[in-house]
Amino acid sequence: MFVAAGLVLTLRAQTLKQQRLEIVNVGLPAVDLGLRLDEIRGPGAANTAQREAILASLRESGAALASTARPTGQRVIVKFIDGLPSAARLSAVADISRSAVMRAAADHADFELVQLGAGEDAEAVAQAFSERSDVDYAQVAYTFHKLLVPNDPLYATNQWNLPMLNLERAWDIQPQAGSTITVAVLDSGMAYQNAIFTPTLPPFRDENGRVYPGLGRVTIPYAAAPQLVGAAGAGRLVSPHDFIWDDNEPFDFDGHGTHVSGTLGQLTNDNVGTAGVAFGVKLMPVKVIDSVWDFLFGAPNEGTDDTVARGIRYAADNNAKIINMSIGRTGPPAPSVESAIRYAVSKGVFIAIAAGNEFEDGNPTEVLAEIASRVNGAVSVAAVDRAKAHAFYSSTGSWVELSAPGGSGRGFGTSGGVFQQTFDPMFTDTFLLPPSLYRAPRFDILNYVPYQGTSMASPHVAGVAAMLMQQGITDPAAIEEALEKTAVDLGSPGRDDTFGFGLVDARAALRGLGLAK
Amino acid sequence: MKHTFLLLSFLVVAAPVAAQDPPSLSIRPFVMGAEQNFTASDTFQAVFETTRGPFFGGGVQVVFVDQFVVELGASRFRQTGERVFRTSTGSVFRLGIPVTATITPFEVTGGYRFRFWERVRPYVAAGVGSFAYKETSDFADATENLVTRETGFVLNGGAEVRLHRWIGAAADVQYSRVNGILGEAGLSKQVGEDDLGGVAVRFKLIVGR
Repeated sequence: MFVAAGLVLTLRAQTLKQQRLEIVNVGLPAVDLGLRLDEIRGPGAANTAQREAILASLRESGAALASTARPTGQRVIVKFIDGLPSAARLSAVADISRSAVMRAAADHADFELVQLGAGEDAEAVAQAFSERSDVDYAQVAYTFHKLLVPNDPLYATNQWNLPMLNLERAWDIQPQAGSTITVAVLDSGMAYQNAIFTPTLPPFRDENGRVYPGLGRVTIPYAAAPQLVGAAGAGRLVSPHDFIWDDNEPFDFDGHGTHVSGTLGQLTNDNVGTAGVAFGVKLMPVKVIDSVWDFLFGAPNEGTDDTVARGIRYAADNNAKIINMSIGRTGPPAPSVESAIRYAVSKGVFIAIAAGNEFEDGNPTEVLAEIASRVNGAVSVAAVDRAKAHAFYSSTGSWVELSAPGGSGRGFGTSGGVFQQTFDPMFTDTFLLPPSLYRAPRFDILNYVPYQGTSMASPHVAGVAAMLMQQGITDPAAIEEALEKTAVDLGSPGRDDTFGFGLVDARAALRGLGLAK
Repeated sequence: MKHTFLLLSFLVVAAPVAAQDPPSLSIRPFVMGAEQNFTASDTFQAVFETTRGPFFGGGVQVVFVDQFVVELGASRFRQTGERVFRTSTGSVFRLGIPVTATITPFEVTGGYRFRFWERVRPYVAAGVGSFAYKETSDFADATENLVTRETGFVLNGGAEVRLHRWIGAAADVQYSRVNGILGEAGLSKQVGEDDLGGVAVRFKLIVGR
């Protein structure tokens, strides 16, 4: 009897596989994207780390070679009053510090540079100069540091959302951007490898009753999103799993999960496309919601509470440290999901959950987001537009805890969206065409597509959380508290139902506190 | 503490009485080392993983008729820790971002030396201090560092032991209170600590009679 049951199960599995027959790791790469990954210059790259290490060493130890000697210690910039003779300037320097030396006048400077001896208090020296009547001003020559502005071309032109979180200076603090952290993306899957699918497409009827013809067995090309996996390939992926198809191949047939994953961890500073928040993280695609194509391909499961709950537990059991859930539903409570969320948090997993997009549809309670508000270590994330105003769709309520850019086309057009690389919907959403034009989709043409929604806001927070965890805040509840305490208050003073505690400030959260500053 | 008591007892009992009259005015430079336990213990513990730290410095004492002392001293504390995040429940997460605090007190005290014994002179003193404070950290803008100075007060008491006609050693306990630096921002504000002072055990080597 067990043998018979096993045979039935095996046959069923084969049947399901055959319905979306796939040949993985074959096929052409994504169309229309030229990558240059041989020499990355920027955070996370070996040559950058080496360059910065050498520079830091030189700054620390002074010149290694006489020919390139640079003075050690601190310098004070002193602007003497115009016309003060050189002798008087030298005398002033000698009055204030016996070990200080006035350096030769520099080009393009209307000030003098005073080199201090080792151990001298530069601030005190600058203050002493400032108090002199023959000095206009004096200041310590502070070292500037890079503000990482990713060279991804669309970062400068389209990604208003990342600077809004103060990420450039957060990346200065942590240029690895979460490289030791695994983030599970519970979504529609991810475009993580090339494949060819040969499903049999049945006829179907749309919501208006229009009948779309069956297309029989078709060949569908599928390409990995190069800006997610890039040269790292599958090495960037950790334990992918698909709860819609019950296998380990969470192919995204929608584009949503790929887009969300991009906001979270798009390859960055590689001169291509867009940037991501925590571009160093390892990604765990966990498919828990299905799409039209999953249905038409014959997927056995749907994105229901049980699927989502299993996905959360799977991520926690497979060492994900952050979970992003840009998914939601309204209606009755979801104790199975709540139990799974509490289980994951108890295992040290921080969870970011979209706060909901139904503000203009009666603004009902968002079930998962509401759970997040009751669990320390899980946060619900509302959306703001590019003016830092409430995004028109973003649900409001007592469950809203934080805000992040979700984008909005209202008043901004497509430039108000959150851009990331995902499938070009022109080639995937063929079921939206009239039946006469209906054709098989292709998932090998990717583009940078503007999305809007709290789905887009949530991965911003998940990404910052990954950076916080790498920085040393390992407890999910502490991450939540850090994000909330350092958020930039929006709307009514203090926490409110629209923005929660406010807009996430990645730098402030990463930087923490000193004794008195 | 036990050893210190035994040492002092020995010196009191065993010391020969000095036969010389003390000068009416004595100017005595000294060097000093101290270990201070900071009042802002939560703040210092979080950032430096200790509530204590050393001060080193020196100064000069002016002694009148062997009994009244005016002391001018300067010292310095400098320590590097890490910026932190502290939860509302008290858990501290160190963030790996170096932060350096430098405290430079300039103190003026006036005190009285008791004449119970010849070689061991207990004393008490009180005074004011100007406390310079500097806090810098990596990745900070100039405005995010802190350079400030506040006035505080100090009380101390201890004993001086004459080791030689021209050399003395002193040990005392000093209490200081300095408001206006901590508690305005940073972790100290979060935990509600506003006193940069503390209780220090100080040791001095004094040159002069």
